[in-house]
Amino acid sequence: MNGWRDTLDATLAVAGFQLARLRTAPRLALAALGVAFPALVVLAVRRAVRVDPDRDVWAVLLYALVPEAVCMLGLLVTMCPAVADELERGTWVHVATRPGGRRALVLGTFVASVVWTSTIGVLALVVAVIVGGMSEPLGLILVFTGLVVVSSVGRGALFALPAVVMPSRALVASVGVAVVVEYLAGFLPAIVNQATVSLRLRSLLVQGLDWQKKIPAQLKLIVDPQPAWVQCGAVVVLAVVLLTVAIVILERRQFPPSEEG
Amino acid sequence: MIVVRDLVKHYRSGDGSVVRAVDGVSFAVEPGEMVGLLGANGAGKTTTLRVLATLLTPTAGTASVAGCDASADPVAVRRRLGYVSATTGVPDRLSPREIFGSFGRLHGLDGAALADRVDRLVAALGLGSCADRPAGRLSSGQRQRVSVGRALVHDPPALVLDEPTSALDVIGARDLLDILTGLRDAGHAILVSTHRLHEIERRCDRFVVIHGGRVVAAGTRDELVGPGGDLEQAFFAAVSGAEAR
Repeated sequence: MNGWRDTLDATLAVAGFQLARLRTAPRLALAALGVAFPALVVLAVRRAVRVDPDRDVWAVLLYALVPEAVCMLGLLVTMCPAVADELERGTWVHVATRPGGRRALVLGTFVASVVWTSTIGVLALVVAVIVGGMSEPLGLILVFTGLVVVSSVGRGALFALPAVVMPSRALVASVGVAVVVEYLAGFLPAIVNQATVSLRLRSLLVQGLDWQKKIPAQLKLIVDPQPAWVQCGAVVVLAVVLLTVAIVILERRQFPPSEEG
Repeated sequence: MIVVRDLVKHYRSGDGSVVRAVDGVSFAVEPGEMVGLLGANGAGKTTTLRVLATLLTPTAGTASVAGCDASADPVAVRRRLGYVSATTGVPDRLSPREIFGSFGRLHGLDGAALADRVDRLVAALGLGSCADRPAGRLSSGQRQRVSVGRALVHDPPALVLDEPTSALDVIGARDLLDILTGLRDAGHAILVSTHRLHEIERRCDRFVVIHGGRVVAAGTRDELVGPGGDLEQAFFAAVSGAEAR
């Protein structure tokens, strides 16, 4: 083995390892809650408004609930605690002493987190669309499945960074990153929002549902008119950069024994 | 097999001062040999082992395994070394079989070769009755054996263990040392750090005593222990002598 093959094998091994660790009763219960939550909100809305909202209203609600809320929370409870746990509890040394181990720790955990969160997101989406009795369900599911994957990939990479930079406060730091980067910088109509996942998600939503001509001029400031492949490419580039930085930090990091044996 | 030469490792502490954790340590471990690295807390044992395990880079000097330098070619060292840290870090929810399988895949093992390797490890470490039980439900001794198995999954010629018996009772420690003795007899080079001298006094072929980051005594038991003495006395004499200097 050598080179990329080493890294791929090690990444898949760590991903399998992390997915196995996620299959616990509390985690599965949390996942079930994540799947049910959007459907429960959709049901509550149906009961409250008494008339069927149109497809665009459902789409806005689905956007807020699934690629934003469910994916964000899913990544917060999988990506950063998993890497941070490994670093904090000292279990990472057993991975780091293997060929390609340090980068596999970041990449494998990222893959596991994206697979776990995307699965929950897509299931939540399908259940919510069915429960809501929404029109053109297949089209909605296709567009939002893409958004779920893009959200998971981009934000999974975003949360890798706080996990390796400050493992002892990874969750707090990740929430801070989510608020400041995604929900503050992401809504600034300036160059800084080009590096956020939320801009790409909004832009993909507008294109996916053909809203380009429907949205008011003011809202056009917070979406990007570039085609969908540019939005997806930007998220991939962002994810590669963030994961590379996280790996470089972890590869160079030295962990002196806190207590000499 | 394991060679440490003039190894120096300094840390910068929180107040900016330099901590000399290891300050010119040299020793070697040959194939089929078990060497005890002895020292009090803070002597520099864990730092030395972590440099060998490629977890730390040396400030000066070299550490190598099977001819591969830990700084220049850490990946080659990782393929040739099994490392058991002071904390077992065994995931509670996975069984020994799952843990060995996961770590075997980290070394590129898969399919029948991996299954065969896992079966051999389970048998060699006496984990047959609990191989499919979550590690969180295993005893301390069984968990430590899982930790050793994880380090052996790629069948490395050299094995480095940091305080492997510190959390074990007398029987667990004896069982683990029996396993290490068997590995030594099978030709592995084994370096084991401990401050529980009585446990390894009759097990190791040679001893290296470090204190304040320096080697203060080294040799076989007979070379270190005078007539009628024991290893503990020899250890205290070496440490006291170093402090007096």
